Amino acid sequence: MSEHDIERLMTVAERPVDSESALARIRERIERERIQPINRTVAGRERGRRDGAVVSLWIKGLAAAASVALIATLLTVSGVAETIITLFEPKTVVAVPITSADLTGAAGLTAYGTLTWSSPPKPYDVPDIATAEKATGMKVLVPSQLPSGVSVANARYGVMDRTTATYTFSADKTRAAAALLNRTAPPMPANIDGSKLFITGGPAVVQYFDDGTAPKSATSAGAFASLPRLIIAQGKGPLVQSDGVTVEQLQQYLLAQPGITPALAAQIRAIKDPSSTLPVPIPVDMATSKTVTVQGVQGVFVGDSTGLGSAVIWSKDGYVFGVAGTLTESQILAVANSLH
Amino acid sequence: MEAVAALRAAGAAPGLTAAFEALFRREYPRVVGIAQRIVRDADEAEDVAQDVFVAFYRKHPADAGYAPAWLYAAAAHTALNAIRSRERRGRRETVHTLERDPAVDPQRSAEEAESHAEVRAALARMDERAAALLVLRHSGLSYEEIAAALGLRRSSIGTLLGRAEDAFRREVTR
Repeated sequence: MSEHDIERLMTVAERPVDSESALARIRERIERERIQPINRTVAGRERGRRDGAVVSLWIKGLAAAASVALIATLLTVSGVAETIITLFEPKTVVAVPITSADLTGAAGLTAYGTLTWSSPPKPYDVPDIATAEKATGMKVLVPSQLPSGVSVANARYGVMDRTTATYTFSADKTRAAAALLNRTAPPMPANIDGSKLFITGGPAVVQYFDDGTAPKSATSAGAFASLPRLIIAQGKGPLVQSDGVTVEQLQQYLLAQPGITPALAAQIRAIKDPSSTLPVPIPVDMATSKTVTVQGVQGVFVGDSTGLGSAVIWSKDGYVFGVAGTLTESQILAVANSLH
Repeated sequence: MEAVAALRAAGAAPGLTAAFEALFRREYPRVVGIAQRIVRDADEAEDVAQDVFVAFYRKHPADAGYAPAWLYAAAAHTALNAIRSRERRGRRETVHTLERDPAVDPQRSAEEAESHAEVRAALARMDERAAALLVLRHSGLSYEEIAAALGLRRSSIGTLLGRAEDAFRREVTR
């Protein structure tokens, strides 16, 4: 077959496209489905990019997931008040569908206080699994099955050591943030104001597989191509401890915030064992989710509604696992179930 | 107060910005063209293009310098995903294509449908990067544009394209 034959086969009869009708169609869809843009200008993104300039690509995804989980975790804290008490340690996962309205409220984590990293996440690359296991003291599960086009030869490995952060509630900050949104926050109980949460995450190991196309730098132009083909993360789940705040009161207070919709509050209250259930927030207009069995336990499958990617998250033997990538549901689940 | 700014942005009413509309008008025909080379159906290609622009709108600012590269890559990957799941289902579209275009000579139309099915099947079986590379090149993208879209070095495009053509030949003639 000559180059000319390839040229002929690759040629299609392109009909003239009506961009204006197509634009009207997308406008209608965005309004009907109430699709929200994440950032409207480059300026907003550049700020985020500068902050994370030294952070490699995979950890950005992990950090995003962790911060969302942290928000949800704070919303689900429950337990018994002691001097230092464990409020949360995940043993299982559950999907919590959230809407854009919910996100608006939940994203206000920084509005209730200050998060200080005492030991910030410092991810680094390691050459192989053995080094990762040595660095973290974890037994790292590896896949025995990979989808076609994904090869261990192209794998990269990252390690994040144990990280700790302290979150300090502040009534002043809460009031100021609410005022900026023209809202009034319910008064923060005196024993919550100034109280601290101690948050521990990791260590974690990330196995990152691409098909050779992913750029090494997150600033590369090919932003879509930079999505990993497959990413496998395993880490010690977040542990949240408190210095003695009445945690039922904390839950009651957080769920009563103006940004938290009654529907979201009801869903969080409905979680049977909030101190050991990791809520996985699912933005309903961007992703779909369902409960699946993975590695013999309950997990949450998340599908990107554009069909571009999917993920499964579960918790087992003290670890939280996540497998994600630009793969189909069956491919993702096959990889997840092949971990050993 | 970045968080508050983010909250405000998230709470803003949905709607298209002028920058997004300009990007859409500029890039939509090319995005459709890339998708059509893969799905081999003009209507389906437009559906793919719509999904690609919606995905972009959700996650990226319309004035981003990387926008065209992102859109081209997303068009190729989304269309490849579509034909792959179809190939898995084993659906053949020959009859469908014939019925859709009765004005064309039936003999010629049947041959065209056959070659469309062959190309789709070949692309679906190929390594995704190679398939995307081949399609982007035949959609008229320069080496620089392909390199940006697929996150490759400009200097390696020629070699990779040669390999992609070899792979395509093998798949079509197998």
